Amino acid sequence: MTPFHLHNKTILVTGASSGIGRQIALSICEMGGNVVITARDKKRLEETFKNLKGKNNSSITADLLNQNDLSALVNHIPMLDGIVHCAGIVKPFPVKFLSEEKIQETFQTNYNIQVILMAQITRQKKINKNASIVFLSSISATHPHKGGALYSASKAAIESLSKVIALEFYPQGIRSNCLSPAMVKTPMYDYAEKGASKETLDEHVNKYPLGIGSPADVANAAVFLLSDASKWITGITITLDGGFLLGGI
Amino acid sequence: MNITDFIKKIETEIDEFEAGTLNPDTDLRKTTAWTSMHALIIIALIDTEYNVTITGEDLRTITSIEDLYNIIQSRIAV
Repeated sequence: MTPFHLHNKTILVTGASSGIGRQIALSICEMGGNVVITARDKKRLEETFKNLKGKNNSSITADLLNQNDLSALVNHIPMLDGIVHCAGIVKPFPVKFLSEEKIQETFQTNYNIQVILMAQITRQKKINKNASIVFLSSISATHPHKGGALYSASKAAIESLSKVIALEFYPQGIRSNCLSPAMVKTPMYDYAEKGASKETLDEHVNKYPLGIGSPADVANAAVFLLSDASKWITGITITLDGGFLLGGI
Repeated sequence: MNITDFIKKIETEIDEFEAGTLNPDTDLRKTTAWTSMHALIIIALIDTEYNVTITGEDLRTITSIEDLYNIIQSRIAV
């Protein structure tokens, strides 16, 4: 039987109310898995939940920046076979205007939450042997952009965290990997479009041999990393960039 | 806050603009020195100094520093 499926697996997806997180939750269910989805926005999370295939899914509204919400989430989740960390923010700001407050804002959502969530899930033994952890990095971790001091650094930190988890948990057969997408058409992209100039963005988009990505392109790679088809893969980052980093265009 | 102070702040933050070269009618995006980095700096400057959020879209619609100043004023007032 093909190992490219997620039958009998329960997977937690954070940031599941929109964009890549939402699509990953939908794709997991399409491939036979069950999900526990979480996000801050109750209404949008319910909208994702309604579209999930299968009957064994659950939805927990939580602001993971709030310690009580995070603990309540960990207490309520069933035993997990996988976790996909999709919660994240991007706020471009040049270095000379950065402050402690700005650093906290990005790092709390893009790094601290992931660390604390992993700490609590593993200490409470809510994770099964041979589980698979997937973190959402970005090509900007290794190929930064102007204004990206915090976003790029937080994603580089996530890649390091993923490798440490791969090392600390291999005795339980638990794997940890990152997906590193380039530009993907999501609400975060629309936000970037408002923040940057459209000309700059259009110029960027024209450098993709296969065009910019869709959430489904990222979700398919997440499904692969969550499935037993990738059971020999741990501690790596898969780049998803439509050929952008080839740099030939 | 007045427009003269605002212009001085822009001239201080963006090295390519020498003091006294900008005026309320200047269309920043049409100046020869303008780059995408300057858009980031203007957005961050306004966020830091006035706690007002300006988007790239706002910067595209304005045709003078005065337009930008008026947007800031209107958002401070709210």
